[in-house]
Amino acid sequence: MRGWMFAGLRRNPGPAVGTLVAAATAAAIAVAGIGVAASSTPSSLGRLAGADVVVAASTQLRVTVGRGDDAQQESVPLPAYAGVPAVLAGQLARVPGVASATGESGFPGGIVRPGMVDLIAVVADRGTSTATLAARIKAELPSDPKQGGTGYTVATGAARGGVADLNNAVESANGHAFGIAVIPVLITTALFALAATTALSVSLRRRRFALLRAVGATRGQIRRAVLAEQALIAVAGGLIGSLPGIALGAMAVRAFVAHGLFPAGTTALSGPWDAGVACGVTLPICLLSGLVAAHRAARTSPARAVKGTHTERTWPSPVRVLLGLAAAAGMVTLDVLALHQNGPGALVALALPSLLCGMAAVALLGPVLVAVVAMAARPLAAAGPSARLALAGIRRMPARTGSAVVAVALAVGLIGAVAFSNTSVAHATVVQSTQTVTADHVLSGGGLTPATLPPSMLTGVERLPGVRAAVGVAPLSIGVTDSDLEFINGEAVSAGPVSDVLNLNVTAGQLSELGPGQIAVSTMEASNGLGAHLGQQVTVYLPDGTPYRATVSALYQRSLAVGDLLIPAAVAAGHTGTPDEYSQILVRGGTQRELAALAAAHPGTQVADRAVYNSEVASNAQQNSFANLVILGIITVLTAVTMINTLVVSTVERRRQVRLLGRVGATRGQLAAGFCWQALFVSVVGVAAGATVCVGTLIGLTRAVTGSSVPFIPAGPALLVVGAVAALAFAATLTPFAVISREKFRQPVSA
Amino acid sequence: MSVVTQMIQVPVVLDGVSKRFGRGRGAVAALDRVSLAFPSGSFTAVLGVSGSGKSTLLQCAAGLEQPTAGSVRLCGAELKRLSDRQRTLLRRRHVGFVFQELNLVPELTTEENIALPLRLGRQRVQRAAIENAAARVGLRPGQLRRLPSELSGGQQQRAAIARALVTGPEVIFADEPTGALDPHTADGVMRLLREAAAGTTVVIVTHQPEVTRFCDRAVFLYAGRVEGIVDRPDPVDVAARLHALGARAAQGDFATIGAA
Repeated sequence: MRGWMFAGLRRNPGPAVGTLVAAATAAAIAVAGIGVAASSTPSSLGRLAGADVVVAASTQLRVTVGRGDDAQQESVPLPAYAGVPAVLAGQLARVPGVASATGESGFPGGIVRPGMVDLIAVVADRGTSTATLAARIKAELPSDPKQGGTGYTVATGAARGGVADLNNAVESANGHAFGIAVIPVLITTALFALAATTALSVSLRRRRFALLRAVGATRGQIRRAVLAEQALIAVAGGLIGSLPGIALGAMAVRAFVAHGLFPAGTTALSGPWDAGVACGVTLPICLLSGLVAAHRAARTSPARAVKGTHTERTWPSPVRVLLGLAAAAGMVTLDVLALHQNGPGALVALALPSLLCGMAAVALLGPVLVAVVAMAARPLAAAGPSARLALAGIRRMPARTGSAVVAVALAVGLIGAVAFSNTSVAHATVVQSTQTVTADHVLSGGGLTPATLPPSMLTGVERLPGVRAAVGVAPLSIGVTDSDLEFINGEAVSAGPVSDVLNLNVTAGQLSELGPGQIAVSTMEASNGLGAHLGQQVTVYLPDGTPYRATVSALYQRSLAVGDLLIPAAVAAGHTGTPDEYSQILVRGGTQRELAALAAAHPGTQVADRAVYNSEVASNAQQNSFANLVILGIITVLTAVTMINTLVVSTVERRRQVRLLGRVGATRGQLAAGFCWQALFVSVVGVAAGATVCVGTLIGLTRAVTGSSVPFIPAGPALLVVGAVAALAFAATLTPFAVISREKFRQPVSA
Repeated sequence: MSVVTQMIQVPVVLDGVSKRFGRGRGAVAALDRVSLAFPSGSFTAVLGVSGSGKSTLLQCAAGLEQPTAGSVRLCGAELKRLSDRQRTLLRRRHVGFVFQELNLVPELTTEENIALPLRLGRQRVQRAAIENAAARVGLRPGQLRRLPSELSGGQQQRAAIARALVTGPEVIFADEPTGALDPHTADGVMRLLREAAAGTTVVIVTHQPEVTRFCDRAVFLYAGRVEGIVDRPDPVDVAARLHALGARAAQGDFATIGAA
């Protein structure tokens, strides 16, 4: 019965192809993202393969977050073993059905305390089931393993793998968090991309909708027809995109493993349900993005069916302009209100609302922008007939050129915002660290593990003549409840005058000494996360889950180099899962020669003066994090697809004009020049609009993360983005022109 | 005669209808206080030179555009009191359209195009009814499965007439239905329209004098105003009158509000 709804798709799928491509791309990325988010790592049991039951102190940190009605228990995987007393092995060996119980140590994240072991591997007697044994062991375990402990983890079967390597659990959690963080980015970008292509495919069929309206189609029927078409495209796109998506997800997981974001052996989740998942993602996106287009199609005046040609309104409706201005104002407001955030994907999560507003503003104000610029560019018409023709076309049909401009702005804005938020943060890190380190010399540990300078070396450095101060530092994860329970970056610092070697820009309290019972907190973490002030008591959690209750003794501003929390190394010792060594020793006074001589006793130790050390920090910071590159890749693909779609369609749409001009005597060169002017206009206006949104977003972002309002945009990559977008704009305009201009004299002049 | 029966017997009534496009100095009055009645079963041509407002008259009379001032009664309903949806349903049930060209949805076959108003109204479409409508305009069953691009211009206009007739409308509006056809084909299409639409009120907008040969009445428009009405028009007289109006227009006394 509804033949008239889908006949367009069946017999003339051209206008819908762009939407289909965008939907399929979105589906592929969604399937890949879900595959990554739900990836699994087979447990590599290693030494524990022979054990039936594994007993360890709880490998999860469980804390009640919030107060009153909002209170809820949250848990995160611990980066280090809390350890169990070695004597517990003997106790468990006496449980009926146990053949042997052995204390085992030396796992990644293992403890380094005498009398303690990482875990106990229990082998069952023949004839005793593991479930029965696990229940007996649970009953036997003391209710409280040690002071402040949170219980035991008793693992059997596949769960033993999670206990065998704590890094796996932490890495998996990070990887999953990343996969989940990608999804909102994808959905937002896909919404914009699909909205652009759908709007275009609807505007191409304006006359058809007018005809349907004239012969009696109600607005509701037109709206439903457009949405039904969108639904069909969503399902088709989902089916087409799911297979490449599975491959993409597997590739992404492999790449993540290679970059240490996932434990080795991790595989992406995939299965026959992926096609359903893909449709489940594309369907709401397609329908949502089609709403505006469907509304516009339904509003088509039936009188348009009578007129053979029509001109667009030069100025869009005041409602649209007001909405656009409101979106622009929203972006500025978000910039001002931007909050500090931590955690994986938070940079993008923070930038997203601001970017959204900016993009919405560009999308709504696009035609106005085009009309204004076209007016200002009128003198360019003197460049020749091609320029005159192109400019006239742009001025009279601002909405058509506007959709192309929006596609270019989308690409520049989104790609730029992601790429240069990374560079801005990296740059700020370098700048801060050069301001932060005031030590004359820095000793760094070599090798693979970060902390390799033993405390004896610090003592040795302190005894050297001429050394006025020496402080050892080691990075560590510290659990905090800053609204959510999470581990954030901080450092353990040795007893010593910290302020003599690090200028952290202390705003309250003092850092000349950080003793047990004290903690130094960055001003950002203090104001946004912990909500702590000087002298307040706070509770944080060491890597093995041990709570550390401390008084805030200093607040400092420069947190990019050292993290957001500083605690005394003496407190962290034994709770980090690593030997109690330092990654760096910062020295005031002394000579390079004497320090080098001392370091020679410990192979791999490097001695650098402040300048050399800072340049090393700079080169490390420039390396883009892999996760951000992945997000950048996704955005690039989606925006490029949108841009190509839009430009190709809007060029092909002008086929009739090309034929007409060809007949009245325009040479192919003149026509090509006209399209070049068009592409130039679209590139320049689109890049300018996109760059404005990008910079606007970056100002808020860098201020939130680094405290500075000046984003760092390196010229090379910026030119690369602009150049690539412009090149794509020209290619996507001129390639279809080449095709249609070749056929111009063979085809009749008709619509 | 009661008011109601009078309205039904005159399905199209325009009363003081004005239509302006644009605002301020650039505003153009396409229609200026036009009052006209098209009685039931009448076959009227609305003539005028380019820009005289004849297409606007058709759009306003058919409810495709809303007049700036005045009232239009179509099939007994005051159009400005109807919602967009009500106007659409009125069009679907009681009005047929034939345009100059691009009448047919290019992705639908001839048959589907003819059945379109029925399908939009969720009515059961009987093949026989479609074939019957097609036969009345001289389309062969074999042509029904073709796409519009596979038909000649004359065949396309016949399909458009069949579509306009398929719901059994009270009124048919035709905007330059023969404008894109050669004289011989145009003659055939007009004859067909006249025969097939017998009993239906037909309003044709045209600038072709020959069309009036099939009409009961000719209405002349000039600069948005009714310039004259002729019963049983003679194409030669109509041509002469159109030439005279064209000459006046060439002297440039078209009214532009703001310029005056």
